[in-house]
Amino acid sequence: MSLLALSDITIRYSRLTAVREVSFSMTEGEILFITGPNGAGKSSLLRAIAGVTPVAAGKIQLAGQDITGQAPENIARLGLSMVPEGREVFGSLTIEENLLVGTGMQARDRTSRARTASDLEAVYMTFPILKDRRNGQAGLLSGGQQQMLVIGRALMTNPRLIAIDEPSLGLAPNITDQVYERLIALQAQRQLTLLIVEQSSARAMMVGGRMILMRGGQIVLDGDARTLGSGEAIQAAYFGYEDH
Amino acid sequence: MSAVSSATETSLTGEVIAAKKQARFALARKTIVTPILLSLLLIAITLITVMTGSRPFNQTVIDVLVRVIFVVGLYIFIGNSGVLSFGHIGFTCLGAYAAAWLTINPIMKSSALPGLPDWLLQTRLIYWQAAILAALFAGVAALIFGKVLMRLSGIAASIATFAVLAMINTIYSNWDSVTGGTSSVVGIPIIRTIWPYLIGAVAAIFIAWAHAISRSGLALRAARDEPTAAAASGVDIPKERLVAFVVSGAVMGLGGALMAHSIGVVTPDTFYLSLTFITLSMLVVGGMGSLSGGVIGVVLLSALIQALRWMEGGVSLGDATFALPKGIQEIALGVIMIVILALRPSGLMGNREITLTRSNRNT
Repeated sequence: MSLLALSDITIRYSRLTAVREVSFSMTEGEILFITGPNGAGKSSLLRAIAGVTPVAAGKIQLAGQDITGQAPENIARLGLSMVPEGREVFGSLTIEENLLVGTGMQARDRTSRARTASDLEAVYMTFPILKDRRNGQAGLLSGGQQQMLVIGRALMTNPRLIAIDEPSLGLAPNITDQVYERLIALQAQRQLTLLIVEQSSARAMMVGGRMILMRGGQIVLDGDARTLGSGEAIQAAYFGYEDH
Repeated sequence: MSAVSSATETSLTGEVIAAKKQARFALARKTIVTPILLSLLLIAITLITVMTGSRPFNQTVIDVLVRVIFVVGLYIFIGNSGVLSFGHIGFTCLGAYAAAWLTINPIMKSSALPGLPDWLLQTRLIYWQAAILAALFAGVAALIFGKVLMRLSGIAASIATFAVLAMINTIYSNWDSVTGGTSSVVGIPIIRTIWPYLIGAVAAIFIAWAHAISRSGLALRAARDEPTAAAASGVDIPKERLVAFVVSGAVMGLGGALMAHSIGVVTPDTFYLSLTFITLSMLVVGGMGSLSGGVIGVVLLSALIQALRWMEGGVSLGDATFALPKGIQEIALGVIMIVILALRPSGLMGNREITLTRSNRNT
């Protein structure tokens, strides 16, 4: 059974249709890149999956459960964690406080608190820099460190699926490499499912996995990132040559 | 079978629980310096007052302590949620009148406020019992208003809280048989000793601190910084805002009750625009996002107001007496506020708290 299934999702901003009848599904443990030019509807789609943007039509299922139209906090509790674009850290909170916000807020019993503690340790093990600066203000971290913090925060809810919007945005290439290195390691360790939006398909080709290319609010290509990336089809799809 | 497995689990997680407990206490230990220092500041001011033994000075410091309660109450909601509220003085009004209903001599009450229910007319409580009930009453009112208001955000929420203030003021100005209308309600026992006000202010500071480091306070501060990311992390923003709104409403109610006992008279207009303005200014000048800022804002602005009043009254230097023209107090206060905010837009303290190391958030 697929972990995430979208059927005929349409997203509109008043009269503008950002995403038009998009369907795809993901299996557990898969890495899926959504790429495409500016305005293709990638981020809208990601935000709709996380419940931040409402969908005009269609259905989203997480592990067989219908999550269409649910509040983002409920979707987060069902195991889908979103890392928004632009590394939105809680700037006035410390790094540790940032991580604790992501824990099951309802949890008051001992076992779940113990789980929080071990989750915190696990995040610190993955990103040692966060442990070193645990009492520092999150707003003072560098861009790469902030990206690691938001990924760490997403991990704290123990998600089955993490949806990340442009993790490379505004980061130096070598820092982006580090971020991806950690992401791939996490995916392997935890059997995490990753849904990553990137504008450029180059990163998807490097990392591998499945790639969906969107343009004008629709899926134009869907396949293995490495084979898709090398062909001319992707250039045509990306720039829309077939229109001529 | 299940008992055995759960026992194993407990022993396995025991170590982790201990670690977590340590982490929790570490958070408390790291931050508890702030409420302690702020309380020591207020205790020092109170002790100096008691030692001077001056009656007017005593009353002034009581006013300062009451305002600390108000501003700390405002901080609990405004500071943590980032939503400006103009309505909190309404909860102060509710608290003050509740204290009046509960403490005025029954004979006076039945002639002045005949519309009160019988059981309330017969009730006569000690001031501190009345103050606790007043806080609960204001908290319940905040819960009812908050249920509706907390769905709004930004400027819409702020204007709606202003509407709450206007509504409460209108009801209390017109429900003559229960509130005495716009005329003064007199006969509230006056408490002249300073200690209850000190205890109230210190309690407010510790309540604010405990709320800010609680799960709910943490979630609310996260939502203040980045609402989308907070929601995506599982924070139910309206719920966490409501928690803060109720806690801060109760603290405002406590402050209102104590204010009623400090002056012995209440009217609806005591708890309206001018009090809203002065308390919000104190919070903003001190720093909206900081508990220390709120307390320091009260102490500094109160000292400033007092100094200006004193100069309006005339200062003798040798044979000559200098007096500032009347009204200079309000003008000077306004100018000083504008200057402070121009130089430090996020207030004197910004988001920082006072600690012994001065840098607890940046290490």
